[in-house]
Amino acid sequence: MSSEEKSLNNNMSVLSKEKPIIRDDEIIMRMNLAERIQHFVLIITFLVLIVTGLPLIFSEIKFLKWIFSPQKSFYIRGILHRIAAVALILNMIWHTLYTVFTSRGRNNFKEMIPKFKDIKDAFKIFWHHAGFTRFLYRRGIFKKFFETHPYWLFKEPPKYGRYNFIEKFEYWAVGWGSVVMIISGFFMWKVELSLSIFPLWVHDIFIIVHGYEAILAFLAIIIWHMYNVHLNPESFPMSKIWLNGKITGKELRILHPLEYEKILENRMKADQSNQRE
Amino acid sequence: MKKILTLVVFFMLACIPIFSEADEDCMICHEDPDLKTEEGKLLFIEYAKFLSSVHGESGISCVDCHSDLQGFEDFPHAEKLETVSCGECHDKAAEEFKTSIHSEATIKKDSLTVSCKDCHGKHDIRNKDDFDSRVFPLNLPQTCELCHLGKVKRERGVEFIKQYEKSIHFEGLEKAGLTTSSNCSNCHGAHDIKAVHHPLSRVSRKNIIGTCGTCHVGIERNYLEGVHGKDYAKGSQDMPVCTDCHSEHDITSPQDLTSSVYTTKIAGVCSRCHDDETLSRQYGFLTSRLKTYSGSFHGTASKFGEARVANCASCHGFHGIRPSSDPKSSIHPDNLPETCGTCHPGAGKNFAKGKVHVISEKTSNKWAYLVKIIYIILISVIVSAFLIFIAADIFHRVILRRKKE
Repeated sequence: MSSEEKSLNNNMSVLSKEKPIIRDDEIIMRMNLAERIQHFVLIITFLVLIVTGLPLIFSEIKFLKWIFSPQKSFYIRGILHRIAAVALILNMIWHTLYTVFTSRGRNNFKEMIPKFKDIKDAFKIFWHHAGFTRFLYRRGIFKKFFETHPYWLFKEPPKYGRYNFIEKFEYWAVGWGSVVMIISGFFMWKVELSLSIFPLWVHDIFIIVHGYEAILAFLAIIIWHMYNVHLNPESFPMSKIWLNGKITGKELRILHPLEYEKILENRMKADQSNQRE
Repeated sequence: MKKILTLVVFFMLACIPIFSEADEDCMICHEDPDLKTEEGKLLFIEYAKFLSSVHGESGISCVDCHSDLQGFEDFPHAEKLETVSCGECHDKAAEEFKTSIHSEATIKKDSLTVSCKDCHGKHDIRNKDDFDSRVFPLNLPQTCELCHLGKVKRERGVEFIKQYEKSIHFEGLEKAGLTTSSNCSNCHGAHDIKAVHHPLSRVSRKNIIGTCGTCHVGIERNYLEGVHGKDYAKGSQDMPVCTDCHSEHDITSPQDLTSSVYTTKIAGVCSRCHDDETLSRQYGFLTSRLKTYSGSFHGTASKFGEARVANCASCHGFHGIRPSSDPKSSIHPDNLPETCGTCHPGAGKNFAKGKVHVISEKTSNKWAYLVKIIYIILISVIVSAFLIFIAADIFHRVILRRKKE
């Protein structure tokens, strides 16, 4: 058991001694079917867009030229890119409607709103992982300062809610990125329309934006999302939540302690009101 | 009367396979298929073939050409006769031939000698318009190739000659049966054929425009009106001539995938000069044309083999290319909507508001440059942050594992 788990157990022990309201092996739905389909459509459309789009930026690479060597393949590439783009837009519209019109969607959105705590969390988790101040403390450097200000030792990792700062960053990056890509891509698709509104130099900016935003999105997904969700040693080779949507009580307690507490609180309230009745 | 007429006709018919009076003496010996010299050289002459030749038809006899045997009686004659001098009658052709590369070879007494008979044949020479003539347009390539694919060694090798068979000109001869399609002599000349480097050669840089223009009249006129043609007419040796872009023996249609001016390859051809620093300084044009074209969607798509996007010629034209300063130029700002409109229907004036060949956004499009810089900074900062956070996470996990052990 890691130090985090121990500390969490201590926190929880007061609440859960008498009655373990959330069992460790209890299955909690983290992603429901609609959310999983939205995520899955996003994966497919994103992949298709990347595969059919990035080669244009890195056209010097011979391997990419080889992929598109058969006749008409470049034309098909364009068609696939547009189909995927339309699918991505439809998926986005669905997600927006889902967020607005379902209570679960609205709740997810509330949880997703960035707060100042997220910046603090990012700061805390970094120094907690780096352990630099604890190293100084052990060496007796700035001992007095650390004894009076134990915060700076970052002994405990921050407690995350339903969505931690990593997930929030990704969600809003995808949202923002999609909007940028859709607008710039739309005008690239409809060149004649674009140039009937904008001068050529503005259209050129659309092209630049579309390219760089694509690179940013690609890097964010393969580095940040892949490591944090799937490739880190804890969940390697991948987390299965995107497939079955399930998270266990134990995982929730460790990864999303604030949400765990929230659920616990709600259940206890319900329990108490039941008893009163 | 009727009897006499039939007799005459009969006599005439009977005469045809028989030798004319003058040749009778010769054919006594030379009609023998086994007649050979001591070295085994066949001396047999197919008289029927001679009779159907242009010379036979016009009643020229053996000794008219083999003139050293005129009036000779004491047969058999000497083994070695004087070389037949075609120039006695064909004086104009002989004069021309004297200036040709083939004639030089003869004079130099090289191992390779070319004379009239090598191209035209000997006793069976036919008129050049005769379908069976060796120099009939449809047959000429084979005749030239007899030597030029074999014993003749030129710098560019046999392959270079063979390339002709891939050309649209050869296709015209072979498939379409067009006698007007270019064969060897249409470009290189016939009797007066010169080495390529010879200033009078029809295929020299100086003369090639006129040579191709013999058939491609309209193109020659367009070319001479364009920026390349104008400087060419002034005598500049740097100007691209037909063969620089279209290649030489293996000229194919621009629609042909193998053509050097096929839509996806043309940028490579133009940039041979237009990316050349020395030429750009000399003639005052901008370089980096290929690089900047490649950077655009047109260029990128073209690199991937997409044939529908604009290539150099789509915007600039081809034979009669004019500089953008020329009001008649397809890329003159006033004409851009029309030029771009060929592919982008309804293209308006906005197409002219911006740079097409963008060397650097820094100078041509400040806002684009700013956006680019912001993105580069953004990407580097964000990706660095990702990597630092991941490094810290991995570091923490390693430390924890060590503590456990």
